[in-house]
Amino acid sequence: MSEVLQDLVNRPYKHGFVTDIESDVAEKGLSEDTIRMISAKKDEPEWLLEFRLTSYRAWIKMEEPTWANVHYPKIDLQAISYYAAPKQKPKLESMDEVDPELLRTFEKLGVPLHERMALAGVAVDVIFDSVSVATTYKDKLAAVGIIFCSMSEAVKEHPELVQKYLGTVIPTNDNFFAALNSAVFTDGSFCFIPKGVKCPMELSTYFRINTEETGQFERTLIIAEDEATVSYLEGCTAPAFSSNQLHAAVVELVALDNADIKYSTVQNWYAGDKNGVGGVYNFVTKRGLAKGVNSRVSWTQVETGSAITWKYPSVVLLGDNSVGEFYSVAVTNHHQQADTGTKMIHLGKNTRSTIVSKGISAGRSSNSYRGLVRVGPKADNARNFSQCDSMLIGDKSGANTFPYINVRNNSAQVEHEASTSKIGEDQLFYFAQRGIDAEAAVSMIINGFCKEVFQQLPMEFAAEATQLLGLKLEGSVG
Amino acid sequence: MSRVTSIRRPPAGYIETLLAEQPKLPTSPLMGVNQLRSKAVDHLATLTLPTKRDEAWRFTDISALTKLLFQPVSPVISLENIDVEHFYLEEATTRLVFVDGVYASELSIITEESGVTVVKLPSADATHAELIESHLGRHVDLEDNVFATLNTAFLHDPALITVSRNTAVIDPIHVLFIATQTGVASYPRCLVAAESGSSVTLIEDYVALHDETYLINSVTEIALADNARVNHIRVQRDSGEAFHIANCSVSVGRSSNYQSVSVALGAKTSRYNLNVLMDEGAECAVDGLALIADSQLADTHTCIDHSQPHGVSRQLHKCIVGGKAHAVFNGNIRVRQDAQSTNSKQSNGNLLLTEKAHVDTKPQLEIFADDVKCAHGSTIGQLDNEEVFYLKSRGLSDSVARNLLTYAFGAEIIDRIPIPSLKRKLEQAVLEQTSLLL
Repeated sequence: MSEVLQDLVNRPYKHGFVTDIESDVAEKGLSEDTIRMISAKKDEPEWLLEFRLTSYRAWIKMEEPTWANVHYPKIDLQAISYYAAPKQKPKLESMDEVDPELLRTFEKLGVPLHERMALAGVAVDVIFDSVSVATTYKDKLAAVGIIFCSMSEAVKEHPELVQKYLGTVIPTNDNFFAALNSAVFTDGSFCFIPKGVKCPMELSTYFRINTEETGQFERTLIIAEDEATVSYLEGCTAPAFSSNQLHAAVVELVALDNADIKYSTVQNWYAGDKNGVGGVYNFVTKRGLAKGVNSRVSWTQVETGSAITWKYPSVVLLGDNSVGEFYSVAVTNHHQQADTGTKMIHLGKNTRSTIVSKGISAGRSSNSYRGLVRVGPKADNARNFSQCDSMLIGDKSGANTFPYINVRNNSAQVEHEASTSKIGEDQLFYFAQRGIDAEAAVSMIINGFCKEVFQQLPMEFAAEATQLLGLKLEGSVG
Repeated sequence: MSRVTSIRRPPAGYIETLLAEQPKLPTSPLMGVNQLRSKAVDHLATLTLPTKRDEAWRFTDISALTKLLFQPVSPVISLENIDVEHFYLEEATTRLVFVDGVYASELSIITEESGVTVVKLPSADATHAELIESHLGRHVDLEDNVFATLNTAFLHDPALITVSRNTAVIDPIHVLFIATQTGVASYPRCLVAAESGSSVTLIEDYVALHDETYLINSVTEIALADNARVNHIRVQRDSGEAFHIANCSVSVGRSSNYQSVSVALGAKTSRYNLNVLMDEGAECAVDGLALIADSQLADTHTCIDHSQPHGVSRQLHKCIVGGKAHAVFNGNIRVRQDAQSTNSKQSNGNLLLTEKAHVDTKPQLEIFADDVKCAHGSTIGQLDNEEVFYLKSRGLSDSVARNLLTYAFGAEIIDRIPIPSLKRKLEQAVLEQTSLLL
């Protein structure tokens, strides 16, 4: 491995600062009392407390899953705090009243909350340690009938919508971490696009974990009614702590007839240092329900951070002619472990799904694609195409592919292909003789490798992702 | 999505009941064999029968098997050549016939071809001790494998074949397992040791004389020393009510070449585990065809494990599924950290002929070396209407056109069998079955 590349790989995490803001942190540990406390603190209605308690009771009976191809010491879920909020507020009227320290944090992160955001034309909801601190462009969105706010606000102002859809895509007892989230989630984003509305701008949420030894449990719920269209972006960062943070989010998407939801993520949680100390455990459950006819749910993710990523954004294709898409780039370096992929559950007729997954593993990391394509007995003429490519950089890393294909209908057409390769000496030589150094060459090759996925990202994100990838893999090829 | 499926726990004491007859096996004059057996019996105490909760058995429900208590095989019914000669292959000059797992010398032919040694375990002596010590039970992994362990516990009459150094055996060796009794469990066992520079063709053939229930629990071990070549053809034509559970472990030595074709046509529930361990520069081609209908289940689990550099492997597995049948395929390709410059290619094709037919497939890559070329692909679909139309436009009836296309799908595998008479028989069997399937 060349020195240049070595440097590149080892470039430190640039979002690893802690913002010195007083936080309101709950006692460590989890019990029914903690849940009642969170619920009371947030002034929640009775049904939501019930929802949390049901989840909690299901959760205590569950065991932490061990089937994923990741290894970590058992998490002591009683040693983390389930609620941390920046101490503030009277309620804020405008962005100018947000704690300047907080704003500086987002400035450092490159999240343009202010004028820059106005120029970019993106509405942002900012979640700091599980609590939403600011939402921009609310009024403009409200004018066309779109509700875009924090989950707590939605619970207060639109309880009927939240109650109708919360937990319908991911039941409270779905899996260990989803159940935990359902019991203790503190905040998140809520988005509702009414019938016939095409969302005029990109919606975006920035998540940041700031406090040590807290778990971040956000809950996102996006509902697109008939003929509605929305594109949603999510970005994540965390400071560098030597202990591990748990991030167990739940994202639910509901698309009704002819609706279209596109959800993009650039995940750059702290990945631990180069010896694998610290970093975020990212155990996330994301699922979209393509409920109506001709509906479409599309996931795009660029996973570069986290010590451990364990996430399978899925689509349940319930409506006839519905479409599911999954585009993913997962990059791991040093001691990172990623076990990620998707599930496409075909239930309706003429449903189609596409999976494109690109895994890049460098250093001593391990990167697995785990996917499921299921075609139910009634899903006539279902169609799936999956492609999973892996690239290995260095001989200490691992790349695995575990695709499950279960077909119960003979009119289905399912294709899966996967390949593994490395950046060849001859490719680098070709660039070199054109006067392009190894680093730039690697960056170009990797961007070419990931192009199919990056093309799916909204423009601002695509630029960020390209840069992030460059940073991440600097120095890993030689 | 949460599914609550009730998993039937296998009845307690099932393994113990099967084992009840084990102590009645005659003690072998070779200590190594007795040790293997008793180790297996001890190991069984730590094992339980798999259920659908176990990842490796997720799609294959063997609870029907655990409801039946299979008896040990009773003394061999005498068969005449005339009863079974339609199973014989003209090319095979060496033929070992086992009736319900027991060697039938009157039906077998052992030609004294130079280089091939066939050892009968009950009559084995110290001269064979080395072969037995160094290979028998050394290749199959019993850890977590209750069926292979059971087979080892009942080890008494295996087919032991060695091919000596630098010998090319031209004629294939036919090992024929015939099931005649119902309600019995038999434990066929086969070991082939190909010494360095040798080559041999092995046909492992399972047939039945009736359509009733029985259990075949077989283990095959094949060891290739350096520069050896083994052609392994496996045909499973058990009765439509039978359970067939087989483990095959192959160690491919340096620069050796292992070619395997397995065809599964019979059994109500069949499971074939094939593990191939690849040494430096080894090559293998692993092909398979499962052609099933009615309520049959055919499960194939393969693992090609590249442990050393410069290995080449290729795999093609096809399933043709009719009726309410269920095909399962799990193909794992593993490239270990030291196995640089591995080149591996796997493809899996599934043809679903009827509405109720279904398939679960999981091609898997596990790669820990960077300088490798690995690819896998999997498809599931039905006959192409354009192709059917093309044939119909040439005057073929719908059913003949479909039959022909289905046959052609399977023929790609059958064509790889290097024994003409067996190929003809299988082609016939596939044609018959495809015409029934549609």
